[in-house]
Amino acid sequence: MEALAMKDSAVSHNGTERTLYPYVTGTSVIGMKYKDGVIMAADTGGSYGSTLRYKSLERIKSIGKHSLLGASGEISDFQEILRYLDELILYDNMWDDGNSLGPKEVHNYLTRVMYNRRNKFNPLWNSLVLGGVKNGQKYLGMVSMIGTHFEDNHVATGFGNHLARPILRAEWREDLSFEEAVKLMEKCLLVLLYRDRSAINKFQIAKITDEGVTISQPYALKTHWGFSAFQNPSKGAEGSWFINRIMQTGTRMLVEMAYW
Amino acid sequence: MDLDLNAPHSMGTTIIGVTYDGGVILGADSRTSTGMYVANRASDKITQLTDNVYICRSGSAADSQVVSDYVRYFLHQHTIQLGQPSTVKVAANLVRLLSYSNKNMLQMGVIIGGWDKYEGGQIYSVPLGGTILKQPFAIGGSGSSYLYGFFDQAWKEGMSKDEAEKLVVKAVSLAIARDGASGGVVRTVIINADGVTKNFYSGDSLPLWHEELEPHNSLLDILASSSPEPMST
Repeated sequence: MEALAMKDSAVSHNGTERTLYPYVTGTSVIGMKYKDGVIMAADTGGSYGSTLRYKSLERIKSIGKHSLLGASGEISDFQEILRYLDELILYDNMWDDGNSLGPKEVHNYLTRVMYNRRNKFNPLWNSLVLGGVKNGQKYLGMVSMIGTHFEDNHVATGFGNHLARPILRAEWREDLSFEEAVKLMEKCLLVLLYRDRSAINKFQIAKITDEGVTISQPYALKTHWGFSAFQNPSKGAEGSWFINRIMQTGTRMLVEMAYW
Repeated sequence: MDLDLNAPHSMGTTIIGVTYDGGVILGADSRTSTGMYVANRASDKITQLTDNVYICRSGSAADSQVVSDYVRYFLHQHTIQLGQPSTVKVAANLVRLLSYSNKNMLQMGVIIGGWDKYEGGQIYSVPLGGTILKQPFAIGGSGSSYLYGFFDQAWKEGMSKDEAEKLVVKAVSLAIARDGASGGVVRTVIINADGVTKNFYSGDSLPLWHEELEPHNSLLDILASSSPEPMST
């Protein structure tokens, strides 16, 4: 074992510390409201740089009776946040006054924690999705590592913002049934699986309603590779660098170009 | 995608922890390198924390040693106060506490393994950053890169003690064959209800892999043997 010199010291001149970069990271989390509550999904992968090192990480946890927390980013920071929330819920229960923290309150607490850490230049390197239901009111919000926070009908972190949200903007509705919501979620998860290098084919979908929380057992989705263009991409122009037959619905457009 | 993930930084070592039906097997190589020089060719990277919990260390030798010392000290006091052996979970969480709160200064990835009467044999991984993960088996150190595929194929739930130890020795040996920062001997520590057993497998007792040759005392022995390979001109 080498006695390594610290390349980029995270300890600055005045002795204070700052987190420079994450090590074990989780990828996208997607959340959406549906008719009876909120559903949230994430894969169970923990990447270590480009290696898909951990494959059974649970990145969605229930908080108290009314909330679900999903996290992407550095896992050790997520584990620490769960400890903070444990303490928060404990103190809330100790009041024993019949009141319990709802998702809006938990979201606000997390926002304060994340923003204050950011101000000290020592962020918790996570993007958090907080969803829940209390007294019939559905709630879904997001907090980033710099303290940016907002609520919406559907949210996503990381790659999910670029790949899943456009799908959700087109197809989400207020009155989605559970089955429709799951199907829509799986459509997003599949796109992420195809296009996000750090995604793995092992997912958990969690739902929260007024009745309570359910987090599914990890499961895998079928992927589709049987397109004719995948079978033979160079058909018609061997040696070309791209698929040179582009089919449009209805009309057929042939683009003949041969590159060598 | 937008971050400079400086992550997997080469950590000279191969360390493994595996649960089996009854306990755990910890394994490691024995090479300590300072740059290109092998500072110690027979080091013991599997360190005791309590009678029933051991830790496999990789990364900075200094960091992992000092953290182990602190954790051993805390666990000793904890055992006295508790009046019985500490659980593996507590040991692992103490390591996590120190790793996480000093994440900017420490460079170490460790595997904690042990046996207690409540949960039996358990393995906990604490990589860079201070994440804690309970796993049926764990691999770490620079040599582990060469073992992901191997374990994906060879790992099975519910192995016997002998099967599990053979697997660990084979794995460390394979990693040593390909990782320059791993080498020397294979040390294993078996922890179960009956106690702790330490084993030592030196280079010549390990199997030969691709393109490795049978060791001899001298060329002269080869030449003297009945059908020597002809020396080419």
